[in-house]
Amino acid sequence: MIGNDIVDLLQAEIDSNWKRKGYLDKIFNTEEQFMITSGIHPSMIIWLLWSMKESAYKIYSREAKLREFAPLKLQCNNLIIHNNTATGNVSYENELYYTESVFDEHYIHTIASTQLEELEKVEIKITGHALFDYKKTKPASVSHHGAYLALVYL
Amino acid sequence: MDRAELIARLTPIITTYAQDKDAVASINENTDFIKDLKINSANLVDVILDVEEEFDIEIDNLSMERMLTVNAAIEIIEDKLRTK
Repeated sequence: MIGNDIVDLLQAEIDSNWKRKGYLDKIFNTEEQFMITSGIHPSMIIWLLWSMKESAYKIYSREAKLREFAPLKLQCNNLIIHNNTATGNVSYENELYYTESVFDEHYIHTIASTQLEELEKVEIKITGHALFDYKKTKPASVSHHGAYLALVYL
Repeated sequence: MDRAELIARLTPIITTYAQDKDAVASINENTDFIKDLKINSANLVDVILDVEEEFDIEIDNLSMERMLTVNAAIEIIEDKLRTK
């Protein structure tokens, strides 16, 4: 199963003040906060880690048919960033999810799967918000945020 | 604090982050923060921090996990106020 999450960085900046006292502590563990504060682009890393957690959570909640708001239980590991892409994994309960992300100055997009091979096979389409009736195209995973719509096909 | 007062203090917090402003008008105990009010999941953290400030309580991670509806929020606030 595949999960995906897109973050519109402009929208995130408008909606969320991550500098607010206590904010990061509710979402990120010590190691993740170290990744955030040790780089020159803290907000970029915040939304990258967030999209990793969200994409993994979407798979879990669909499979387990369970909803919860537990960002600290979703733990990001092995994050490697190259130019405008990143890979890593997220552990949650007893599951391990592999993630692949792409980003530029406008958005961050992450796909997650329990199978690494699956990430290689997917087709990703990122467009403006609902410009067409995307449901007819039967995407395996859908994410929208701000001005962006991300569709993933298997 | 009775339930009505609690909801009255909770509602403005939720309203701030609700993207579906029409759904705000019909807030009740069964209202779901994400499904009904379309609160962005990143803003759920703000709801929790605002609730902590408003009621001067601390919401632990386990409580936060289930704080997805008005009803759950009320239960958690009542519980934390009781043990304060």
